[in-house]
Parts: sequence; structure tokens; C-alpha cells
Amino acid sequence: MKILTQNPLALSGFIIIVAVLFIAIFAPWLSPYDPNYIDIHSILLPPSVSHFMGTDGLGRDVFSRMLYGSRISLLVGIVAVGIATVIGTFLGAIAGFYRGYIDSIIMRFVDTMLSIPTFFLILAVIAFLTPSIWNIMIVIGLTSWMGVTRLVRAEFLSLRNREYILAAEAMGASDFRLISKHLLPNSLTPIIVTSVLGIASAVLTESGLSFLGLGVQAPQSSWGNILTDGKEYIQFAWWLSLFPGLAILITVLGYNLLGEGLRDLLDPKNKNQKK
Amino acid sequence: MYFKYIFLFFVLLNLTSCSDKKEVAYNYDGTFNSEKGGTLIDAMSGEPSNLISMIAGDSASSAISGNIFNKLIKYDKNLELAPEIAEKWTISSDQKTITFYLKKNLKWSDGHDLTSEDVFFTWKLVTDDKTRTPYGSDYKLVDRAEVPDLHTFRVVYKKAYAPALDSWATLQILPKHILKDEDINRTFFSRKPVGSSYYKLAQWVNGEKLTLEASPSSVMGEPNISNLTSRFIPDTSSQFLELIADNIDLMNINPIQFARVIPSKPDLKNKLALYKELGNSYTYLGFNSKHLPFNDIKVRQAINYAIDKQEIIDGVLLGLGEPVASPYKPGTRWSNRTLHPYPYDKNQALKLLREAGFNDTNHDGILEKDGKPFTFEILTNQNKQREMTAVLIQRRLKDVGIDVKIRVIEWASFVNQFIKTGDFDAVILGWSLSLDPDQYNIWHSSQQKPGQFNFIGYNNKEVDQLLEEGRTELNPDKREKIYHAFSKILLRDSPVIYLYAGYGLTAMSKRIKGIESPTPPAGIAYNSYEWFIPSTVRRNEIAQ
Repeated sequence: MKILTQNPLALSGFIIIVAVLFIAIFAPWLSPYDPNYIDIHSILLPPSVSHFMGTDGLGRDVFSRMLYGSRISLLVGIVAVGIATVIGTFLGAIAGFYRGYIDSIIMRFVDTMLSIPTFFLILAVIAFLTPSIWNIMIVIGLTSWMGVTRLVRAEFLSLRNREYILAAEAMGASDFRLISKHLLPNSLTPIIVTSVLGIASAVLTESGLSFLGLGVQAPQSSWGNILTDGKEYIQFAWWLSLFPGLAILITVLGYNLLGEGLRDLLDPKNKNQKK
Repeated sequence: MYFKYIFLFFVLLNLTSCSDKKEVAYNYDGTFNSEKGGTLIDAMSGEPSNLISMIAGDSASSAISGNIFNKLIKYDKNLELAPEIAEKWTISSDQKTITFYLKKNLKWSDGHDLTSEDVFFTWKLVTDDKTRTPYGSDYKLVDRAEVPDLHTFRVVYKKAYAPALDSWATLQILPKHILKDEDINRTFFSRKPVGSSYYKLAQWVNGEKLTLEASPSSVMGEPNISNLTSRFIPDTSSQFLELIADNIDLMNINPIQFARVIPSKPDLKNKLALYKELGNSYTYLGFNSKHLPFNDIKVRQAINYAIDKQEIIDGVLLGLGEPVASPYKPGTRWSNRTLHPYPYDKNQALKLLREAGFNDTNHDGILEKDGKPFTFEILTNQNKQREMTAVLIQRRLKDVGIDVKIRVIEWASFVNQFIKTGDFDAVILGWSLSLDPDQYNIWHSSQQKPGQFNFIGYNNKEVDQLLEEGRTELNPDKREKIYHAFSKILLRDSPVIYLYAGYGLTAMSKRIKGIESPTPPAGIAYNSYEWFIPSTVRRNEIAQ
């Protein structure tokens, strides 16, 4: 907490994220209406006291849908990045630890994956699966681990020949022990930073997929599919596009600020400058 | 992509410049006498590929060529068959021979005579295997065609075939004297047509616009409006901006624009007139009759009672549609007026579901039969109106204890992976209808192979027989009885639930006068040759 207060940008990112988390967790208590309650007598009402963010094409309260939508966006972000981090760390650790041909194979695989435009890969995969949030999280996770792999491998390569690692190895520590007790804890900083930044891009990917109709399925709401609904009415009902757009913007900004801030703060090379 | 932005930029520039200069205050109200002259500008999303409609097959092409070429017969404003270049036609007592008697002194726009030789030539072309046309099959049923004299054309069918008359109301007659030595698939004629109808081609600028001018030798008489310009604007939002800027005179709009955007802006309300007409299509929820429990008529009827169609029309179409009770356009003779849609009746739905064996035994709010909960998936394509319809249906069916999942799929995979394989529970789709009442392809039990149109697997012996009778009966009154009986069975069986028939919505500049009101069944455009633009409200027509 103390380090956060030294960096106002990271702090504002942190506050945004905490606020969004709060909203997501307490959505049922905060929302004035059932997000899926259809009222065809009050369709496309502009923002007012009874509907803070107006109503959509089926008369549903946009504010309530936005609150519930934050759950989807956050869940997708965190779970997808969790999957990516686990896979990325595992492969990066193996590549960086064993080096040699294992490293070559894994890194060529990473290069291959990186050469495929991820969003189109996801689109192609989703077209075959039933679109649901779980599938989306898994697919985003399975296609975004390459950055983590590269970072972890680089970190491992530089730590691998340090004296304390060699000493532990000489004392007969197993490979597993070396990795889990000595190498991994010392590589945690870049992993945390990329994960936080990764959440931002996962949130964006989910919004993009929902916008294209391949994300969360009706009647569930996510920021992306509220935005799609809004596209139809953009000349008339600005509130349907503005609020989800802003929400996505602010959340992604929050993760990016926090990620960048953490990088600055946790990077030992920057420490001296700060003081 | 850049072009689009540049284009938009210019549109916006145009908008601002319009508001800078003093708005020309047209007075569109008052009574005007019809007069000739003026230019009507409309917008098309696509550019015609070819002005020979039997080759082209796209709607842009047929919209243009319909103003250039004539047919033997046509549909009048009540969608009844009426003479066009044939002044009358007779049907032999065995219903196999149709004889058309052409009007006298018909001319092509280049001055040549139009005779039954041209009709015969066109029939030859459309049935020639070398002609690349998707429309040949109806005409290949003709056993032999004859030209007894220059004003008579006779076709003899192997057996009576009722949709035959409809086919002669769609075939555009082409000039033999120009095309007899041409390869129809790649002739210059597709871009330099010579027709016989109201207009002839004046100018075609690729990717920009196409202009028709009134043809002095038109066999239909001279139209009031001298020039028709169609501008090619692919994006409907850009079209709408052009309409607002008064750069086009008419376009099709969506319910939001119709009910909310235009009425809320006084300047638009002053210069645009709004028209609605029933389109030739309806949207339905169709069940896969081969999947349990949709093979049970009581389940289908129960769902029909459980869905509130008026709510869908009000919510999704903003009230701009009608409920339907038969697969025919309301107001035409084929639509059975004695039929009414199933009313919304939750209790009746619950009663029927109980009779079908569904009960909520574990009190979770979802009905079960044999221990299995009643849950199914509605598939639809990426169409906002259909998605919203699905959400409303999902809510209503939840009220009676049916758990519905919705899945929205991109069109190509929707058709290939689900429709053609029959791998679905229920779909929300629409049917566009031809003007002939024959729907053998959609409902006959023989039409269930992959790729055929009875993909819902509907199977009813009685309906099969009526459909077979209907397509061999050429007497309209007898046909009407057959199709009314057919619609009645269909409504009872509910293999599909009719949801709505949406209106076609048009916004048109008020400078266009002479539009018939109320809109006849054939739609507002049927008398477009009688529309006129009073000279006091015309645009300044500077050559562009």
C-alpha cells in the first residue's frame, strides 16, 4: 500500500480496479432492477432518475445490466489471465531451466503461436464451439500465454547461473525444488506485471467478441453486448453506446495504470531513481 | 476503407454547408396537378451486375431492369394477375395450354416492332442449357411453345401446373432482333439494354450511379417523372445521412428511424413522408418435428399459446408489423381471413403441457417429463430483430416452465452446420414469399432432404394432398379454397409459430406526389409511373 501511494498513477489504477471489483461483487445489491426484466412499455428511455443510464431496446435497465456486465468482464479477465499465466509460467520455466533442444522446441512453438493473429484464431475457434463465457475464458487463456512464457524463460536464463542456484544444485536439490523454491519466487515480479496488463487485454478481447455476437449469450449482459445493442440505435439512443464504452475504457485504463505502476515500483533498477 | 471516410467527410461537409446557406423553403403542402419532368434520386446498396435479369439474379439488377423491360402479364395493385403486353390470355379446358394475345403496335425503344417472336425467343433463351440462369426450371416444364401469328404466343404443358402463370409474370421479354446472334452470357446488351417499358438507360457510371430516362416509344405510355437516378451507396447509415441532406429522395428505413428518429426531428418531419406497407415475408419460430418433444402437437400448440406475439411486435418492431395466421400476406386472396393467431394464454399452455405429460415434479420451476427437464435451444442468425424476439420468447416460455437457451450463429455456418444437417431444436427464421401461393417446397413431406426447404420435417398426408392439388389447379377461385384449407391445417398443427410480418418502411421526400394512399397490397411503388414532382419543388437540376 505504501509503495502505491508513492505513484499516483498506480494508485488511481488501483482505486479503479477496487471500485470495479466492488461493483461486480455487490451487483445484486446495487442494481435497482433485475437486469433481465423486460418492459416493452419503456423501451429506449433516455437516462433519468428512475433509469440512471436509460433503457435498452427491450426496456431493460441499462444501469443494472452494466453492473452485472462488470462481473462478466472481470471474470473473463481474471480467469483467462489465470490460465495464460499458468501455462506461460510452466512452459517458460521448462524452457529456461533445461535450455538446449527443449528450449528450442518450446520457443519455436511460441513463435508459431505469436505469428497467428490471435483475435482471428479466437474467432475461428469460437465459431466451432458453443459460445459461452467459460469457452471464451478458456480460448482467450489458451491463446495469450506466449508473452508470459518468453518473460519467464528470459528471467530463468539469467537466474540459472547465479551462485545461489549453482550452490543449491551442488547440494543435490532436485529440479523441481530448484524451480519452485529458488527460481520461481525470484521471477515473480515480471509475472505479476504482465498478468495485470494481460487482464486489460482480455477484457478488451471479451468486449470485442461480445460485440461481434460471439461472446456471452442472451439474455446475460456484458459490456460488449450492451455496446452491440447500442450500435443499432446510435443515431437516437446515445446512452446505449456511451456508458459501456466508457466502462470498458476506464477499466482497461485502470489495469494498464496499475500494471505500469507496479512495473516501475517493483523494478529494482528504478528504485534508486525514486528516492 | 479510406474512401468510406473521405465519402463520409464529404457528406458531413455537405451537411454543414447546407445549414450555412439559407435553407430553401419549399412548400411541399397544398394541391398539385400532375406534370411531367423532374428527376427522382434513390439509393441502392448494391450495383446491378447485369441488366438482363434472367442472368443477373440480384435484386439491384431486377429493380432496374423492371423499369426497362416488359413482361407478358403482371400483378396489379391487389396482387391479381393483369395484362401487361398481353392484352388477354386464355387457358384450355384441360388446363394444360395457355394462350397469350399480345397488344398491337408494340415497339422496342429503338423503333423495331415487338412481336410474339420476341416472346418465343425469350422462352428459348431461358430454357437453353447454355444460358446461365437459375430461373430456367419453371419454363422447362413447357412441353412446346408456338407462335401461330405475330400477336399470339401459346405454351403447352405436359401436365397442368398452376405456378406457370406466375412464371410468365416474372419473365422479362428481350428483343430478338438484337440478341439472336449474341451469346447471352457475355453480351454488350447487359450494359446497353434496349427495352420496351417506361424507361431506357441514359447513363451508367460504375460505382457511382445509374440514370434512366423516359422512353418516348414506351408501350406503357409516358411516365410522369422523366429521370430516375439510382446512386450506389453500400452503407445504409450513409444512405440515411444523404436522405437527411436531401441528396436522395427515398430509401427503406428501419423501425427506429421510422418511429423515433424522424418524428423527433421537426425539420425531417417537414420534408419527409413516411410510408409503411406489409412486406412479402414473415418471421417464425420453427420446430424440428423429428426432435422430442416437438413431435407432439400439444407441445407445439402449448408453446404457441405461451408466446405473446403482440408483445414481440410492440417491442421488436415498435408496433410496425402485424400478426399472421397463415403463410400468406394478409390482405391477399390466399390469406384465409377466418383464421386468427393463437391468443396469448398462459393457462391454456400449461393445460396442454400437462396433457402432454409435463409436470414440475421437483418444484424447480422447470417442467419435467420422464425425469428429464423441458429445455431446448433456439438458434437464429445474426439479426438484431430475431435476437430480441428470441429473448422475449425465452422470457415467456420461462413463465410456463420451459427453459430456453439462445444461440446466435453467423449465417453461413447456421445454414451449413444446422439447417442442412437438421441438427437443431428450434429456429427463428423468416420466409420471403413469391406471389404465387404454391408452397410445395416448404411444406410437402417429400422436401426434407438436406438442402431442401422442409428442414423442420413437417409431415402431414392431408397437407401433401392439398399442396399437390393446388399446383395443378389453374382456376383462382378453386385454388383459393385449397390454400385456405391448407392454412387451416397448418395453423392447427403449428409446425411453426408465426411471429410477425414486419412492415416495409419507406421515407420519401415530400416533393414526390401522386403516391396512392392507403397503400395497396402491391406496395407504394406499384404506380411509380404516376408519381410526379411539381416544378416548384424540384431540385435545381444542374448537370453534374
